[in-house]
Amino acid sequence: MSDLKKLYSEIIRHHNENPFHFQKMEQAPHILKAYNPVCGDRFELYLTSEDNRISQIHFHGFGCAVSKASTSIMVKSLEGKSLQEANTICNDYLGFIQQERMESRPDLADDFKAFSGVHDFPERRECATLSWIEMQKFIQSRIGDTK
Amino acid sequence: MPLPISSIKALFPIFSHRPELVYLDNASTSQKPQAVINTINDFYEKENASIHRGLYDLSVVATQKYEEVRKKVATLLGTSHSTSIAFTKGTTESINIVAQGLIRKQLSPGDCILISGMEHHSNFIPWQQICQQTGAKLAIIPVNIQGELNLSEVDNLLIPRTKLLCLTHISNVLGTINPIEEIISLAHKKNIPVLIDAAQSVGHYPMKVDAWDADFVVFSAHKMFGPLGTGVLYAKEEFAAQIDPLNFGGGGIKNVTLEHTEFLQYPHKLEAGTANIPGVIGLGTAIDFVQQLDLIETSSHTRNLCAYLKEKLNQMGSLQIFGEPANFGSIVSFQMEKIHPHDVASFLADANIAVRAGHHCAQPLHESMGVPATIRVSLSIYNTKEDVDKTIETLVALQKFWSR
Repeated sequence: MSDLKKLYSEIIRHHNENPFHFQKMEQAPHILKAYNPVCGDRFELYLTSEDNRISQIHFHGFGCAVSKASTSIMVKSLEGKSLQEANTICNDYLGFIQQERMESRPDLADDFKAFSGVHDFPERRECATLSWIEMQKFIQSRIGDTK
Repeated sequence: MPLPISSIKALFPIFSHRPELVYLDNASTSQKPQAVINTINDFYEKENASIHRGLYDLSVVATQKYEEVRKKVATLLGTSHSTSIAFTKGTTESINIVAQGLIRKQLSPGDCILISGMEHHSNFIPWQQICQQTGAKLAIIPVNIQGELNLSEVDNLLIPRTKLLCLTHISNVLGTINPIEEIISLAHKKNIPVLIDAAQSVGHYPMKVDAWDADFVVFSAHKMFGPLGTGVLYAKEEFAAQIDPLNFGGGGIKNVTLEHTEFLQYPHKLEAGTANIPGVIGLGTAIDFVQQLDLIETSSHTRNLCAYLKEKLNQMGSLQIFGEPANFGSIVSFQMEKIHPHDVASFLADANIAVRAGHHCAQPLHESMGVPATIRVSLSIYNTKEDVDKTIETLVALQKFWSR
C-alpha cells in the first residue's frame, strides 16, 4: 500500500464520511473555533460541561478528510470524560502525532493509530491536530480555573 | 521565426532534473528557463555591483543593463513610455504604492473605489484598507454564474465619486479574460482612471497598454518566467508625478538636508534602497524569452489544453467546475463531490502532479461561489496533452479509491 493510501486509512475515510455528532449546536454554552487560515479548514466545536466533565460535544464545519476525521474521533474520545481524563487523552494523541512513531505506542487505540500515516506527510500534521489543539487549550484553561 | 511549442519544455531545466514532474500551478509561479537562471548567475559571478552610484566599469554596466530593462518592459506592455515603468518587489507592492502613495490622499468620506468580485487579495485588501482609513466606500462589481462581469452593471457602478476602478485582466481562479479595453473606455467616459492587475496576463497574452489607455498596470516577473521578488508598476505620466514614495532611504533622492529631502522624479523616487538588480536584469532576459514566442500561438496552445481539460473533467461527473466564461485563459478551478480539495491535491501530488488547493488568495470570490476551497489547475506553455491525461487518470483513480 502506498504511503498516501495509508494516510487515507479506512478509519479516516469512514469518519470523514460518517462524522460523529456532526451538527450545529449554536445554543451550546461553549463554542470553540478551530481555523487554519492557510488552508481554510474551519470547524466549530460545541461543548457542554458539567461538574468538571465534558458532557456533550458536537462539531460542524469544513475541512479535509484528515482534519474532519481527527475532529470526529476527538469528539467521540472526549465526550463524557472528566477534564483531567480529557487532558491526558489530548496529551497522548498530540504527543503521538507530533513526535512518536507508532511502533513505540502499541497501547494506543486503533482510532488514534489510524493517523500514523501523517508521519510520512509532515505538511498534513496540522490537519490531524487542528481541532485537538483548540480543545486542549480549552481543557487546560478550565483546569486552571478550577484549581 | 518564433520558437516552436514542441521545443519549449527543453528550455526549462527543472523538467530535466525532474522528468516525472507535471507542473500545473503556473498561476502561482511559472518555472524559469535556463537563460533567466544564467543571467542571474552571471550577474553574481561576473557583473555584481550596485547601480546609479559607482564610477567604475562594473557599476556603469550594471546600471545600463538595469535601465535597459525599462525599455524592454515598455515594449512588452505595448507602451512607448519607458519612464512610466517603476521596478517593485511584485504586483502586491505595486498596488500598495498606488493605494497608499497616491489614491489614499485623494479620498474623502463618500468617495468610492470600484473593484470586481474576482480580485486576488492583492487587488482587494489594499483598497479595503484605504477605504477604511479614509471613510471611502469600496464597491464591488458582482461576478455572475458564468464567472464574468456584466458590462452594464460595471457602467452603473461607475458613479461620479468613483476615484479609481481596479480590475484584474485575467482571474487567477476562474481563468476569465475580462474585456478590459471596453471597461477602461466606460470608465474614461466618466473620467475615472483604471488600474489593471496584469499578473496573470503579462508574458502570456499580447499587451496593448497604450491602445487600451490603461492608467496603471501592475505585474510580477515570477509569473512570466522571470525571477521572484521583482515586479513592475506602470503609471501614466500625469499620475506618476503625484505618487509619493512609501520607502525612504538610500537612492531616490535629489538632495537631502537636515530640514528637507527633495526626491528624484518617478520612477526613481520609488526605488529607494539598493535595488534587486539581478531580479530586474533577469526580468529583462525573461522578456527576451517571451519575445521569441508567438504569443498568439502559445496562448491558443494553453487555451486549447484548458478546454480539453474542462471537457475531460465534465465527462468524469461528480465534479463541479466554477465559472464558464466565454473568453478564458489557461486556468480552471473545480471541486469533487465528497472529496475535499486538499485531499485531491495530496493524491495528485503523490502522482507528481502539482496543483493548488485552497482559496487561491481570493476568499471573497470563493464566498460568493459558496465554497471555502477549490482545486485549481493552471497551465503554461510547457504543458502537454499528456499532462492533462495523467491528471484525469489520477482523478478517476481517486474517485474509485474514495468510493470503495
